[in-house]
Amino acid sequence: MNSRGSQQSLWKPVLIVFIIALLSYIIYYGSRRIENQSLHQPLAIVFGTIYFLSIFFGPLFIFTSTYVGGHPFRKRLLATVLIPFLWMSKDVILLMESHPFLECLYWYLNPLTVWMICLLAIEMGIGTLLGRILLQRRGQSTKVVSLAPIAAIVLGAIVFGGIYAWGQGENLFSIYLDGYRWIFGSGI
Amino acid sequence: MKSTPPSPSNHRGYNRRDALKLMGITLASGLTTLALSRIERHDNSAPNNPSLQNRTSLDPDQQIERQISTNLGTLSSGTKPNIIFILGDNHHYETMGCAEHPFIHTPAMDQIAREGIRFGNTFSPTPLCSPSRASFLTGAYAHKHGVKNNHTPWTGQMTTFLEYLSDHGYATAFIGKWHMPGEGLPEMPFLDRFISYTYREGQGAYFNCPMIVDGQEVPSRKPYITEEITDYAIEFIQEQLAQDEQERRPFCVYLAHRPGHPPFQAPEGISGMYDTADVKEVLPDVVDPWWYGKANRNVFQGIMMGSYYNQYRRYCETLTAMDRDIVRILDLIDQKGLRENTILIYMGDNGMQWGTHDCHGIREPYEDSIRLPFILRAPWLIPDPGNLRQQMALNIDIAPTLLEVAGVPIPEDMDGESLVPILSNPNVQGRESFLLEFWRYFPENTPSYHGIRTEQYKFVEFERGREPWLFDLQLDPSELKNLMDSEEGEQILNELSSIMEA
Repeated sequence: MNSRGSQQSLWKPVLIVFIIALLSYIIYYGSRRIENQSLHQPLAIVFGTIYFLSIFFGPLFIFTSTYVGGHPFRKRLLATVLIPFLWMSKDVILLMESHPFLECLYWYLNPLTVWMICLLAIEMGIGTLLGRILLQRRGQSTKVVSLAPIAAIVLGAIVFGGIYAWGQGENLFSIYLDGYRWIFGSGI
Repeated sequence: MKSTPPSPSNHRGYNRRDALKLMGITLASGLTTLALSRIERHDNSAPNNPSLQNRTSLDPDQQIERQISTNLGTLSSGTKPNIIFILGDNHHYETMGCAEHPFIHTPAMDQIAREGIRFGNTFSPTPLCSPSRASFLTGAYAHKHGVKNNHTPWTGQMTTFLEYLSDHGYATAFIGKWHMPGEGLPEMPFLDRFISYTYREGQGAYFNCPMIVDGQEVPSRKPYITEEITDYAIEFIQEQLAQDEQERRPFCVYLAHRPGHPPFQAPEGISGMYDTADVKEVLPDVVDPWWYGKANRNVFQGIMMGSYYNQYRRYCETLTAMDRDIVRILDLIDQKGLRENTILIYMGDNGMQWGTHDCHGIREPYEDSIRLPFILRAPWLIPDPGNLRQQMALNIDIAPTLLEVAGVPIPEDMDGESLVPILSNPNVQGRESFLLEFWRYFPENTPSYHGIRTEQYKFVEFERGREPWLFDLQLDPSELKNLMDSEEGEQILNELSSIMEA
């Protein structure tokens, strides 16, 4: 694998996913202003779906692309987490309408973040395998399957599924709120 | 509230800013002394007023009063009435068959409304689970009982109506969802049974929820939570009835259910029953069937919730599941011949916004959040079963109402007012206004607020992040036109200020 990928091949996939997410966000929420339901509903369904896919599965595209681009793991990781991080930061900023800044920062630790980390681990594992397959097809001599990506997929899936099985995330949310009360009390 | 134009002298030199300032100061600093206009209910129209007894020519109101007087006399010659108070969770006030919901199946609630009455204007001044639950128990606003949000512990600083009833000879049981913060469940030695759960912050679980029965942790006996706690309630009632008649006490059961709290899960036989229900009639156009994203001021804002239509269908299924177990309570009461001396109440702890104003949740000061379902059956009190009461009622009215029904003096520290006069006489005037108050609750994205709601207007002032709201609820029931920056709004604020000053 080429470990000296260009800056363009690093940020281009991030930019693509970001633009798709942003446009679909704008169209999805903007469509609510349309009173004609035969227009609003299809727009909402299509762009809501694209928005969801871009946030949650855009990182798979980014990691795969940057892997093929030959970037080191540190940079691939940074590029992969950027879109979900921006998405969560949006919520943190919005929360500041109601809560002090420090409490808003605590929002980064919410259970969805844990789920997102698991999902990213799975996607990075899959992205590694896909990247290797693509490189193989381009003639590079690369072993597709190795321990690290498989372990990332399996561990990510176990934790992800485990949290879901353990009360569909409600138990984790309870722990999260316990942590809030331990740090901030009732907040008032 | 009667709308009267301000006098020139009142209007002159008293602008909107002054009005806001006055209201803010009054609301923030003097909540406990807030002079929310109260009406004199125990007046000459009171059922037991002897001055009415000798009249020979009675108008319809007087006939009703005479009927009530007779009924009350009938009951008082026997034992004190039994009390069953049933509480739902996040139950939108119109999601009942008796409220003309287009598809939900709620035969028990419909029966209660048919044989009793439904209140069409009932509210929680603090639309959040724990504060509302504390208000039911204490008859007080949240600023007085101290449970201000779902993180603020229950301190027991105010006496619950259950304790007053116990002190006056009632067998009392708290069964179901306690859901107030604190270390486990509180000590309530006056209760004959205290059956609840602390699982998941006291939210419990729909299936196989571990219970705490009189201080002992026990596994669930029935898989589904409403069936589980209804079984306990029925056992408690049967235990009371099994007592020797000389020793038998009247009973009070406080039965708090989990439906319709998310994640919505219904039992077998009910799950899926609304799969084909047309929810478009109920949900606003702004939501879409697939990916309704939590919008305006919601946690997880922007997250796709999956099929919002299906979420709503599942919500309705949990309410139907609860209703199925309320049927069992009704059947027991009727089969045991307790119908004529048992007051049975169903209410919700707060409302629920299903996409209105692009919001999903319970704590915004919109009508969908603050309004409660409220139905009540008490044959000896209600002269006109099957009717609707339009007077404003609050969750804080329940405690004083039940105490009056039980013949127990109403403590002065209760903010609520007994609804017995309204139950007895549909023409009695209700309260004219009440206080709205909310303390921010992390992580929900709603700032602290306070305000006032009258029959016509709603004014809300936020601690931070938002401009105040002022709605004319008669002209704009959907709360779409904020009048704050209008001349009309200025005039309304002056009127509201005069209420506050009074």
